[in-house]
Amino acid sequence: MRLELKGLTKKFGSFTADDDIDLVVEPGQIHAILGENGAGKSTLMNMLYGILTPTSGEILIDEEPVSFNGPGDAIAAGIGMVHQHFKLVGPFSVADNVQLGREHTQGMGVLSAKAARNAVRQVSEEYGLKLDPDAICEELPVGVQQRVEIVKALSGPKTELLILDEPTAVLTPAEITELLQIMRNLAAAGTSILFISHKLKEVQAVADTITVIRRGKVVAELEPTASEAEMASAMVGRAVTLQVDKTPAEPGEARLEVKDLTVVSDAGVKVLDGLGLTVHSGEIVGLAGVEGNGQTELARSILGLVKPDEGHISIDGKDMHGTSPAARIAHGLGYIPEDRGRDGLVAEFSVAENLVLNQYRETPFSKRGAVNAGAVRKRAVDSIAEFDIRTQSPEEPASALSGGNQQKVIIAREFSRPRRFLVAAQPTRGVDVGATEFIHSRLIAERDTGTGVLLISSELDEIYALADRIAVIYNGRIVGEVAPDTPREVIGRLMVGGDIAAPDDAPAAPEAEAPEAPETDAPETDEEANGGDR
Amino acid sequence: MAVDTMTSSPAVVDESVPTRFIKPGTAFSVLGLLLIVIAFAVVSTGDTTTIAFDRTLTDVEWALPTTACVAVLGAIAAAAGAWMLVGLPKRRLKLVSAVAVTAFVLGLLFWAYSQPGTVFRAESILAGALFLSLPYLFGALSGVVCERSGVINIGIEGQFLMGAFTGVLVANVTGNVYAGMVGAMIAGLLSTMLLALLATKYQVNQVVVGVILNLLALGFTSFMYDQLKKAEGLNSAFSVPTLSWGPLADIPVLGPVLFQQKIFVYIGLALVFVVWFLLYRTRWGLRTRAVGEHPAAADSMGVNVNRLRFWNVTLAGLISGFGGAWFTIANSLAFGKNMTAGLGFVALAVMIVGRWNPLGVLAGALIFGFTTQVARDLDASGGSVVPGEFLQMLPYVVTLVVVAGLIGKAKAPAADGVPYNPGDK
Repeated sequence: MRLELKGLTKKFGSFTADDDIDLVVEPGQIHAILGENGAGKSTLMNMLYGILTPTSGEILIDEEPVSFNGPGDAIAAGIGMVHQHFKLVGPFSVADNVQLGREHTQGMGVLSAKAARNAVRQVSEEYGLKLDPDAICEELPVGVQQRVEIVKALSGPKTELLILDEPTAVLTPAEITELLQIMRNLAAAGTSILFISHKLKEVQAVADTITVIRRGKVVAELEPTASEAEMASAMVGRAVTLQVDKTPAEPGEARLEVKDLTVVSDAGVKVLDGLGLTVHSGEIVGLAGVEGNGQTELARSILGLVKPDEGHISIDGKDMHGTSPAARIAHGLGYIPEDRGRDGLVAEFSVAENLVLNQYRETPFSKRGAVNAGAVRKRAVDSIAEFDIRTQSPEEPASALSGGNQQKVIIAREFSRPRRFLVAAQPTRGVDVGATEFIHSRLIAERDTGTGVLLISSELDEIYALADRIAVIYNGRIVGEVAPDTPREVIGRLMVGGDIAAPDDAPAAPEAEAPEAPETDAPETDEEANGGDR
Repeated sequence: MAVDTMTSSPAVVDESVPTRFIKPGTAFSVLGLLLIVIAFAVVSTGDTTTIAFDRTLTDVEWALPTTACVAVLGAIAAAAGAWMLVGLPKRRLKLVSAVAVTAFVLGLLFWAYSQPGTVFRAESILAGALFLSLPYLFGALSGVVCERSGVINIGIEGQFLMGAFTGVLVANVTGNVYAGMVGAMIAGLLSTMLLALLATKYQVNQVVVGVILNLLALGFTSFMYDQLKKAEGLNSAFSVPTLSWGPLADIPVLGPVLFQQKIFVYIGLALVFVVWFLLYRTRWGLRTRAVGEHPAAADSMGVNVNRLRFWNVTLAGLISGFGGAWFTIANSLAFGKNMTAGLGFVALAVMIVGRWNPLGVLAGALIFGFTTQVARDLDASGGSVVPGEFLQMLPYVVTLVVVAGLIGKAKAPAADGVPYNPGDK
């Protein structure tokens, strides 16, 4: 399929999200669209997929102009989309999610579960995307959910163009490598791919052509040979440093002590299993691990949203057992949640209100029990300037902001009050280069003022860039604490429950391979890393 | 060693290890002990509770000693509670709670029917219970069809009234009771169509619309009732025959309950399975559930969310309208002002108790029907130890116990009551 966009424009009221976009995707080409958050990438894709109607301009498929009245038209025209925010019905099985909208029936509208299951198996075998058709989607790890989305997009009547909207934002390094390979295979088989991202390495690795969008306009067409610095400066509009500068850490007293922490999920699984971890003042401890190994529960237990079944948590030397999140925040805990939509922001509240969510009861934001609107607004104006939050006004609801700017609101809120210890969970998830640079430098500055920082990230790059010490979590336990110069393959092995020492005969792979990779001659001597042979 | 750990899964809490459940354990122990105290302190020795099979085996009567029965049932409930306090395997918890609740309710029944002159007429009471569960059943099924697609239908009460009124009116005008039933369904359909339109096209708050529609229906039917009184033969009672399935009707207990009922009962039971099948086994059901859980996902797959919601809500009106006809036609009554008496709201509770699942709704409706029937029966016999007003509370008390003790957290469809705008995330 050859896709061409001519002068595509989308306006929301007086705001122009996309302005006169021209673009050509040749058959079998991987066309990357780079842009910061809020640059208009998602709006562009929503127009392509029929969710939004363009204000002006046209879309041509194989030289024929088309207009979509809804996603159904786009699917019929051969476009499949993997959305940044997954569009999966949580309680449904994989097969039901894939067949939704084009159900397999045995006549009279009665579903054929068997046909649906087989269709999923067929597509997943054809493209090498392993899936269990009967698994319930909300119980699957994020990486697998994404695989469901891709299979769903490929299961259309004739998917010839695949749109991937920030597909790697939630994936582990191994999953990203796998996804990029899948994209190459698809393109080789003739599928055109529109790849929306702001991760420069991935774009470089996989794209045939790169279009850079800034503030709704096409600002550059680059070849994949372009350097990361070139791409980054085209996106941001100024030179960007991709390296984080930091001095050696000077750890002091313990600011977070977690001992024997055990949390049991509703399903009876020990998501945290006797976990122990200490973070000192003036250091950043990076918690590496494949998602779903207890990171979420650890962060939520530290804040007090999850009540541990066993174990103790002390913050700044004080046992926090049984205290409320508010008490912990007052005691100097800062918290950047991994899911900003759920735990970080009240979407309907304004930016200004969100900026004082944990301080509204303190002076000067509250005067004799009433909110002091002037002080709140002043704080908002200051924070918006200091943290470069792109919003039309402090009164705009947080839900209207792009993901990166929402994250900046949270960071501005947490960094604008005194704190002793900070939990930063996935602080740059879905955040663009410029904002990532900013957030990273703020985290380092935070460490240098003596705060202890626990950095939870599924991106090893981020852990390497920031951490002074790396702890690896697996199955709810810390399986190793290593220095920041430990090679990737060692951490990769720990992340899937392996040993620190490399097996003698296994080649050092950049990432951990699939679980069934046979390494039967592993030495049985290592005693310090208990891989957990339960 | 290093490698085979790679496939290991996280540790799991063993469900067969005994765990303590302090709160439910205490509650059931106290309730059980209370029954035992009642058995020995309140019930006089020599009292008996009589169970009769009043329709098939008219000469069989079991007279059971009340004190012993109540004490034994109390002991069962208390023992269940004690087991919870000592610690029992988690997977047994539901079963043991169900046994405790059943024992407690049965114990109360034995006590209530211990007075001289009161007889637990098992067949009449069970058959009546099924019949009385119908309004809850129809209302809740209508609610399921609406809410599974993400529209809250709080206007079931109003649709009942419209159905009850129109059913009688159409039956009078045409002289045909079955035409009356169809008329009731159409009246229900027209009143939900308004809700559907306002909820999807105009995205008005659905609870507000529902409340308004209830008041509108109450005002309209009351006004029309006054007008019809002036003319003869517009609001006369019509009835449908009781269907008897020949020899099947003579089976003890089952016969009177299942094979000697009005057509409403059979339609209601059939509808439970039809709605269940449609929801879980058809394309329409898959899309309905998707739209109620995650409309944006359905939209992204080409499902027209608001059109599906519109038709679901509109068609649900057929069910609740038919449920309205139960009040008049099934009960052989003329229409009366506000004769539905809030049962439409109880039907909503039944829907939640049934967890938005037609089979659960059937169970919930039967519990309500049974307690309502028992309360009526005891009240009518006049010999009950418990005052009538308290008996009328019984269905609701039982609901509270069942909901709190057995069902636990009920999870509504995620997008229930949330208007959908294409382009939403």
